[in-house]
Amino acid sequence: MMASGVRNSGTFRVTTPSDTDITLTRLFDAPRHLVFEAMTKPEHIRRWWGNLGNGYRVPVCEVDFRVGGKWRFVSRHPKGDAEFYGEYREINLPHRVVFTEIYAPFPDTVSVVTADLTDENGKTRLTATSRYPSKEVRDMVLSTGMEKGAALSYDRLDEVALSLATTKP
Amino acid sequence: MADHLSTTFSALADPTRRAILARLASGECSVTELAEPFEMSLPAVSKHLRVLERAGLIARGRSAQWRPCRIDAGPLKQVAEWTEQYRRIWETKFDSLELYLQELAAQEQKHDGKRRKK
Repeated sequence: MMASGVRNSGTFRVTTPSDTDITLTRLFDAPRHLVFEAMTKPEHIRRWWGNLGNGYRVPVCEVDFRVGGKWRFVSRHPKGDAEFYGEYREINLPHRVVFTEIYAPFPDTVSVVTADLTDENGKTRLTATSRYPSKEVRDMVLSTGMEKGAALSYDRLDEVALSLATTKP
Repeated sequence: MADHLSTTFSALADPTRRAILARLASGECSVTELAEPFEMSLPAVSKHLRVLERAGLIARGRSAQWRPCRIDAGPLKQVAEWTEQYRRIWETKFDSLELYLQELAAQEQKHDGKRRKK
C-alpha cells in the first residue's frame, strides 16, 4: 500500500470523541505555515486533496480565504463527481481554521470543521474535528464508501480496542 | 444493523468501558480483576459490564462463582469496518499531503538559498 513508505503515516488516527464528532489527527514533516498553505491555496489543494490514486483529479477548486468567504472542491473519478463546499468561519493563522462543510447531495447537512495546527518536536500536528448535526449523520459519514463484504482481519482488533481505550473523550 | 451499531457506539462512548475492553483484549478475567485498575466500586464496574454485555461487546461465563468476562469481537469488528473505510480515504489523502509538503519545503529551501546568495 501507498501508506507504508510515507513519513509519519503511522501517526494518523481517527477517533470519535463524542456522538457527533469525528477527529482526524496526523503529524507532518513541515512547518505550520506550509501546512496551512497546502490546506488553503487552490494550486496546492488540487495536488493532494483529491489525490486518491489513478483516475482521480480535482477539476474545481475555489477558495475565497477570508472569514465569510466560500470554498468549493470537486473530486472527479471514473465513477462520478464528489462535490463539497462551505464557508470559512474563523481564520487564526497559523493556529486554527474553522469552516463549514457540505457534501453537495445533502445540502441541508452542514458540518463544522475545526482544524488546529500545533508544533510537536519540530513537526506539525494537524487535528481536525468535524462536528455533524446528529449522531446518525456522523455514523453515516463514517460508513462512506463502505464496500460490501470488506473483511477486516481480526488481527487488527487489538489495535482498534487499544486505540479506543487510549482515546481521551 | 444501524440500530445495533448505535448501541455499540454508545457503549464505546465511555473511557472506563473502553479501558475495560482494552484489558479484555489481552484475555478473559473476573469482575474483581477488571475493577482493580479503577477507583470504582464493584457494583459500578458491574454496571459498565452490563452496558457492554447488552451491546454484545463482551460475553460472560455461566459459572455462578466466577463469571469470567471475555471480549466479543463481532460488534467491534463492525465498528472497525465502518471507520476503516473512512480512515483509509483520509490516510491516503494525508499521505498525499505529506508527500506534497516535502515538495513545497524543498522548493522553499531552494528559494531561501537563492535569496541568501543575493
